[in-house]
Amino acid sequence: MKKMKFAKIIFIIFALFPFYLSAETAEEQGLRIAKASYENGRGFTDMVSDQLMILIDPKGNEVTREVSGKTLENLDPNDGDKSLTYFKTPKDVEGTVMLSHTHISDDDDQWLYLPALGRVKRISSSNKSGAFMGSEVAFEDFSGTDYRKYEWKFLGEEMENNETFYKLESYPNYENSGYSKRISLIDNLNRTYKVDFYDRKGELLKTLYLEDYVLYKDKIWMANTMKVENIQNKNITIFKWLNRELDVGINKKDFEKSSILRLAD
Amino acid sequence: MLKKYIISFLFVFLQYLVASQNAAAIDYKAYGFIQPEITTFFNGDGRHDQSNSNQSIFVKGTFITYLNNGDQKITINTTGRIDEKDSERSYIDFQKFKYEQYFDDITLKIGNELIFWGVNESFNIVDIINQSNLAEDISGTKKFGQPMISLNYNHSYGNFDLFIMPFFKERIFPGRNGRPRLALEVDKSTVAYESSSKKNKIDAAVRYSTVYDDYDIGIAHFYGNNRSPELNVNPLSQKLDAYYPILSQTSLDIQSTKGAWLYKLETLTAKNGEERHFGIAGGTEYTIYGLRETTSDLGIIVEYTFDDRNDFAFNNEGVLALRWTKNDIKSTSLLAGLVADMSGSSNRFFAEFEQRIRDDLKVFIDMSINGEIDADDFTYAFEEDSQLTLKIAKYF
Repeated sequence: MKKMKFAKIIFIIFALFPFYLSAETAEEQGLRIAKASYENGRGFTDMVSDQLMILIDPKGNEVTREVSGKTLENLDPNDGDKSLTYFKTPKDVEGTVMLSHTHISDDDDQWLYLPALGRVKRISSSNKSGAFMGSEVAFEDFSGTDYRKYEWKFLGEEMENNETFYKLESYPNYENSGYSKRISLIDNLNRTYKVDFYDRKGELLKTLYLEDYVLYKDKIWMANTMKVENIQNKNITIFKWLNRELDVGINKKDFEKSSILRLAD
Repeated sequence: MLKKYIISFLFVFLQYLVASQNAAAIDYKAYGFIQPEITTFFNGDGRHDQSNSNQSIFVKGTFITYLNNGDQKITINTTGRIDEKDSERSYIDFQKFKYEQYFDDITLKIGNELIFWGVNESFNIVDIINQSNLAEDISGTKKFGQPMISLNYNHSYGNFDLFIMPFFKERIFPGRNGRPRLALEVDKSTVAYESSSKKNKIDAAVRYSTVYDDYDIGIAHFYGNNRSPELNVNPLSQKLDAYYPILSQTSLDIQSTKGAWLYKLETLTAKNGEERHFGIAGGTEYTIYGLRETTSDLGIIVEYTFDDRNDFAFNNEGVLALRWTKNDIKSTSLLAGLVADMSGSSNRFFAEFEQRIRDDLKVFIDMSINGEIDADDFTYAFEEDSQLTLKIAKYF
């Protein structure tokens, strides 16, 4: 009899086990996938790259903008990365340098060197929703890649192009965002495939496609093409990373305010 | 004479440096622009019978190269102008012509350099290293390169800079046909100095600067020929005689960045010749991002400056300005505002518009309109110089 009882308990535990697994809420599941997706791109130490931005208007007119950049990964998991961007074109902004110290909960620290003024200015970074160089990419699209900047929710799985994706909803938990929510599709390697951005009024604003994923250092997935289609104004921005190199051994001091002048003209 | 030797030496040294590199491996950047300008004045002939129009061409060229894996840098930055009416406004200047050597925490710099100190948009009272070219721009914001040897030490507590500056350059004022210009010409033949070494005096400055949280802080001391001369009417020549006292100036500049609000302060105490003076200037800049659900931003700038010298030109002035940036592909922007003497003796409205019209062309439209100015205010000489300038820059 006693044995019977033991078997019964075992049975009950096993019977409950699947239920225990699914006890993860949609929020927890969303957070888990978002975290895994974010960590997919971590561990690069530092990075250099050239970036090409192609702006296409509804008539098909194209202009190209070139920048080059360096990023320093912050090994402190509670603080953000540092990045240095050098502007090459359009020609009137050539020589402009921007330094960003990103933070997870606070506003980022940003400095700008403008050749026409010949001075380094500390600028406000509360401009989250502003357009980067007249493109469809907002500042928050660059600075807001950390999963901790959002509340997450798992919505289910979705088929697109014969592939199954996790579908996640996220809401920015920082101030001044231009978005009310984002809907992301993430593949089974935890790579983000597509993000729909909804404006403050809740209307679909733009769709971001992440393409040309490359595996670096056998563990880091990075998309080398980012395409943004604005649904409302019909503009398209294509952002390409060229010559991306990871772990090149950049000096930490290159990311200090005083080092901006080493790049400046 | 010595200056010529040193510049020749520097030039040969740079040539040697460049030549010693594998020619194919030299990586350099070279760019610049040429900018024709047309100005029209609204009040006919000026107070001093100048012309009611002017044409001018401004050029700027930049060359940068890094040698030895980026441990050394050579920067050449040249500006120049050919002016139709004012010969004093035609010039060429090596704003930067410098060699830099980067060690771990130390940067050594030799050559001509532009050093900017300060945080304000309008009154940069602590900015002292470079000489102003008032013929280029009467507000004094356009500067000449200053020859120097400079050391920077980058410590975890902040940055320490030392500047040793030979070769003082006299201030350039608008000439007889310049518009705007001072009521009287500045006599170049009677320039006098407090220092017995005159323009060969070696000036020096130190600066400590750091970033602490939301604060960018700079503390500096300058000792040398004042960049700004005293101008005294010579009753015989009916010209202005320039006298450069020795200036010993201690300054502080702070910016605090709190979200969309910037708070700025520059203050100084200085002994100019025998007399000590105090100055303070500062204000705020607030930006509304995404104005009325568009991509435009609107910045509101309010600044004020005070100086305890009664005879000083800018001893009680305020600025209220709006900066609109459209954040479009053409980088359209407009800055407009009012500069006013708070005691009510003068005021000026200004507007500066700019827009990229092609990938390598940019158009600038500057307007300046003077209100009524009291006859005893020094800007009375400019009262009839309200103007509109169109500039088109072609970039290379």
